[in-house]
Amino acid sequence: MARAGGITNAVNVGIAVQADWENREFISHISLNVRRLFDFLVQFEATTKSKLASLNEKLDTLERRLELLEVQVGTATANPSLFNS
Amino acid sequence: MVTMTASTRPTPRESSNFDEVSMHQSLLFSDSLQDLKNLRTQLYSAAEYFELSYTNDDQKQIVVETLKDYAIKALVNTVDHLGSVSYKVNDILDEKVDEVSGTELRVSCIEQRLRTCQEYIDHEGLTQQSSVISTPKYHKRLDDEDDWHQFRNAVRATIRETPPTTVSKGRSPSPSPHASQKPGVFSFTSTMPKKELDKRSVSPHRFPLLRSGSLVSRPMTPNSRSTTPNSSRPTTPNPSNARRRYPSEPRKSASMRLPADRENGREVEHYPSKSKRLLKALLSRRKSKKDDMLYTYLDEY
Repeated sequence: MARAGGITNAVNVGIAVQADWENREFISHISLNVRRLFDFLVQFEATTKSKLASLNEKLDTLERRLELLEVQVGTATANPSLFNS
Repeated sequence: MVTMTASTRPTPRESSNFDEVSMHQSLLFSDSLQDLKNLRTQLYSAAEYFELSYTNDDQKQIVVETLKDYAIKALVNTVDHLGSVSYKVNDILDEKVDEVSGTELRVSCIEQRLRTCQEYIDHEGLTQQSSVISTPKYHKRLDDEDDWHQFRNAVRATIRETPPTTVSKGRSPSPSPHASQKPGVFSFTSTMPKKELDKRSVSPHRFPLLRSGSLVSRPMTPNSRSTTPNSSRPTTPNPSNARRRYPSEPRKSASMRLPADRENGREVEHYPSKSKRLLKALLSRRKSKKDDMLYTYLDEY
């Protein structure tokens, strides 16, 4: 009886250990995917920030050029003699 | 148990114009962002629920299995949402970059047109200023020594009635017609060598005043000054100095006389007597009816 009880306990321990390893494997898979998701989010953030910075620079340049054009057109409009001569 | 709620997407409609399509896409994007925000709260709620169930419920194995399934579905759903949102963000960013590039092109076009206008204005201003300041223009042919000699020879040949002393050797191309000239005395370029005569007869195009034959083609302008070889300004001798040509004098005789003038210079000496005879004939023309005789005389002359 005692030998049978010991074998049963050993089997239960073995099943519990296997289940524990399976749980650990599952958690590692989940954490790995979450980490990949995190890496993707970090990369996406960097790419989006770079694109936004480039877009912001282009918009700044465009704004300055438009201001210059506005000043030039305003000067030309203020002096219509340039076009009448 | 909290279950993952699928994002409620509006039914796709056929948008006719661009505004409706863009509005539909913006609505979808905002729904996706709202789902991502809700996913966080749902995950926190699910974690609390599984914790309580695992501690209170006796069937812990079932709770663990359910938790595993939920974690897998939650992870997949999160990846799906993040992929959708990131794709839309990239799409919107690329669209904005394209719009900015198009706007840059249009601004460059406007700048180029403005620069062209500025250059045109500058060019017009320079043209106006240059037209206001009229720089003296000298004849190009007078710069060269050979051309100057040709021009001088042409003037001498054209104004054969003027004395050769009026044309100086310097660079004064205007022989003064008011110089001391005796009426009826003509200069047949006696000082001009024969070589120069041949030379000026070779190039009639550069100096169109060179005469090779008749006097008929030469316009009669009494008071014109023969200074330049311009064809618009005919160089005719001063009538006070030139041989008098009467209106009734037929020009055929003059053209016929010209080669003889070149060949024989003695005719200059006989010219006053001939002119007197011609004057007498013309004066007696009205009185008498001997016109035929006069014409015959002129033909002979």
